Amino acid sequence: MADKEKETKNEPKTDLQKSKEKAKLQREDTLERLVVLGEHLIKQINDGQNPNISIPVRGSRNVEFDTVNKKIVLGGKVAHRYFFNVAHARRFMQTLLVASYAKKDLLEGNLTATLRDLYYAKKHTIPGTKENTIEEQKESDLAIVDLEVALDTFRERLHLRAEPKGRMAGDMVIQDRVRDKIDTIDLSHMGSGGWAVPSIVEQVEFKDLDAEYVLVAEKNAVFDRLNEDEYWAKNKCLIMTTAGQAARGARRLLQRLSQELNLPVYALTDADPYGFYIYSTMKYGSMALAHESDRLGCPAMKFLGMSISDIEHYNLRDVTIKAKDIDIKRAEEIKQYDWFKSKPWQAELNKFLEKKLKAEIQALSSKNLQYISNTYLPDKIKSQDFLP
Amino acid sequence: MAKKAAVEEKGITPEELSKEFKEYSVAEFFKRNRQMLGYTGKVRSLTTVVHEYVTNSLDACEDARVLPDLLVEITELPDGHFKVAAEDNGTGIPKPNIGQALGQLLSGTKFMQRQQKRGQQGIGASYCTLFSQITTGKETHVKTSVGDYKVYECDVSIDINKNTPAIRNEKEYSGKFKGTRIETELAEVEYNRSAFGVYEYLRRTAIANPHAQITLVEPNKEITVFPRATKEIPKMPKKVLPHPLGITTSDLVDMAGVTDGRKIGSFLEKEFSRVSSERVAEIQSLMPKDPKTGKPMCDFDRSPKSLQWAEAEKIVGAIQKIKWIAPESDSLQPIGAKELEKSLKNLLAPEELRVIERPPKVFRGGISFMVEAAVAYGGKAGAAANQQNGSGNAGGAAGGETRGEAMRFANRVPLLFDAGACAIAEAVKTVDWARYDLKDWENLPVSIFVNFTSVYVPYTGAGKLAISAEEEIVTEIRQALMEAARGVAIYLREMRRAEEQEHRRSLFFRYINEVAQCLHDVTGTEKTVLAAKLKKLAEENTSLLEAQEADEEEGLEELEKAAEKELKGERGEDE
Repeated sequence: MADKEKETKNEPKTDLQKSKEKAKLQREDTLERLVVLGEHLIKQINDGQNPNISIPVRGSRNVEFDTVNKKIVLGGKVAHRYFFNVAHARRFMQTLLVASYAKKDLLEGNLTATLRDLYYAKKHTIPGTKENTIEEQKESDLAIVDLEVALDTFRERLHLRAEPKGRMAGDMVIQDRVRDKIDTIDLSHMGSGGWAVPSIVEQVEFKDLDAEYVLVAEKNAVFDRLNEDEYWAKNKCLIMTTAGQAARGARRLLQRLSQELNLPVYALTDADPYGFYIYSTMKYGSMALAHESDRLGCPAMKFLGMSISDIEHYNLRDVTIKAKDIDIKRAEEIKQYDWFKSKPWQAELNKFLEKKLKAEIQALSSKNLQYISNTYLPDKIKSQDFLP
Repeated sequence: MAKKAAVEEKGITPEELSKEFKEYSVAEFFKRNRQMLGYTGKVRSLTTVVHEYVTNSLDACEDARVLPDLLVEITELPDGHFKVAAEDNGTGIPKPNIGQALGQLLSGTKFMQRQQKRGQQGIGASYCTLFSQITTGKETHVKTSVGDYKVYECDVSIDINKNTPAIRNEKEYSGKFKGTRIETELAEVEYNRSAFGVYEYLRRTAIANPHAQITLVEPNKEITVFPRATKEIPKMPKKVLPHPLGITTSDLVDMAGVTDGRKIGSFLEKEFSRVSSERVAEIQSLMPKDPKTGKPMCDFDRSPKSLQWAEAEKIVGAIQKIKWIAPESDSLQPIGAKELEKSLKNLLAPEELRVIERPPKVFRGGISFMVEAAVAYGGKAGAAANQQNGSGNAGGAAGGETRGEAMRFANRVPLLFDAGACAIAEAVKTVDWARYDLKDWENLPVSIFVNFTSVYVPYTGAGKLAISAEEEIVTEIRQALMEAARGVAIYLREMRRAEEQEHRRSLFFRYINEVAQCLHDVTGTEKTVLAAKLKKLAEENTSLLEAQEADEEEGLEELEKAAEKELKGERGEDE
């Protein structure tokens, strides 16, 4: 590999070389962070201290809404995970198991793995005991989160893949790299299923584009409807489904489309508090992943629908569903979030709490199957009838 | 169920017992009412027989001022019958009294003594004779000596039509024997080591009578000795005249029959404590008036021998309405905290033991009583039927595991049956054991001990199986239990702390090699060096680290919650 690099030293770098070099730098950076953490712990041990890992506190008590940059960010609170602490010891050990695996098995060998791979690789019985290092995958998953925040990095940089989720279609060509192979993919020729968004999208390069906006739907069914109706071709856009709460790969890709290509992004969810929350997570980030809002948030995103107002406007009253207690509770909760404090959203949530009705996007099919493609979406976009 | 049993129990009071005697033959009465006296169920009947003999023996030893040496032998005969032999080193029974003691119902000498005694109603040993007679047709054999080197033996039975003793095969010879040995043969009984069996009964008797040594020979010839814990013979309880508040109609009728008093008025004054002529007048004035004559319905100048049941009933009613000076409390004879502690240590060898002796209190407005309570933890505490199960006897309680036990006593006599209706059980049930880290005491090696002491034990029925759950009594027992439990809780908490420290240390040691290996993987530092340093840290700092932990818990909790949420969000909500 080194020879090959020498040979091509003076020639202009190919896409492959550029992509690989960038990845190599990132790998080295992450390795360095791991070693620094390890050395820090060893110094504590040598100094006779209780070895501990500093971990920024997450959750509602250490989360703020940055109104200027429109994202949910982490406050300054830091907790320590000690080895010599009954409640911490096991997780401390597990966090180090993750660090060892990321360094030796993944980064040094330039391989990626799933959370489950890691779980099986590091699960073993501790010699001389009946105890396993890791009992359930949930434990190693939690240790991974600890390590990524402790290193101020994210799991993709540790070469850990999340479950990929989300599909895309539209008039755009991209390049993806699998180790030493570059694939060029035309998203307008992906058939009925669309292009599966990978869990890591850092290496994806955008090439030719003929689209004016991105339409991201919460539901697979909506994506399939629009794809079948050639909505993206007729309306010059990219369409994506997140299949429920958006996965990290999908969120990162939306952010890049918004920031690198300056494409407006419109969200399409059910008209209920859960739909609204899925939207807010894509846009501002989440409380639990506040440390990753920079990398995963998409502040320019707008909410196209369905809104509670749409129910009246499009005369969908007959196909609404009565809100359950848990919907009401959730609406009351999100009404208190700083990022839902804008007037239009407060009005929207009040309307929901007053009517106690919700609607699915598919309710539009009550008009006719193609109503969404032919009437609802073009209408909404033309009138720019969005919520912030 | 328990409630119904209690009502049935109440159905036969001593008053009614003596009343029924007048209407039925003794045998018929016994057949009708044996369950009221504890002769119900095969195991229980056997325990009841042993109970009658053992309480008499303990009382006899006390009267003789000797340390009791009791022997109980149960033998299974080829025809399925059981032979019970009970032997003591007490006063012995004077020859003229034998018939009355073992062959006549409701004639016990204790009845008139008003001394705090184990057996009170004088219906015990004679019923054993009758039970043997009814179930096997055999006589009961007695060997006794008052210690004058003359030993007397005979066979006793009851003439069931006349309720008089029948004595045969008398023998008298010289010998060194002192005390009494009774042998009786029974059918419709069964032996096992269950919680209702003879073994458990004697074990508990031994606990409540630390000055006694009790030896049991079981049908399989296994010999168990419950050793003596102290050589101190309990003080003789003071003999006192009965206090009017403790008297029942039947007591009154029986006493009226044997008194020297010439008139009902002087009889009351003479035979009861705290009764003056003023009080007699007060009783008289409270009696209902005869509707014809307008005079009080009972003439107190009549002979007491002529006192009718209905009149006695009214006198007892009038007594309850008068405010009396409380009875003397020095007539109580508790086990004593020191002696009880010796006894429980001796038999249970517990890890921790708290014994509480409460000062005397009164119930029903004037009857004094005293509660002694103990809570024992660890060692051999907990249900004995399970621990000492070497004999292979069938039918014990759930085998193997130690379970918590609550032992009830009234005047040192174990109460094995009818727990549901009992003041002690009620008190045990209403203590908030969780407060003392004993929430699960029923599944822990725990023995709870309560002894209720009083000249008048308010039994729920003639079988003397349970103490009436009166509020003052239950409250007092609960207080005693709580006091004892507090002491044990302190011990338990200390023990738990030590355990936690050990757990903590072992936890760290378990993970040290894993942590050292990982740090080696990440930094390349020698694993063995790291492991050695970590071990040293763990050894030195365990207690120091404990303090640190408390400060950190909040931050950790926050972390955990956030991380969980994160994972949930990531997995997403599928369509």
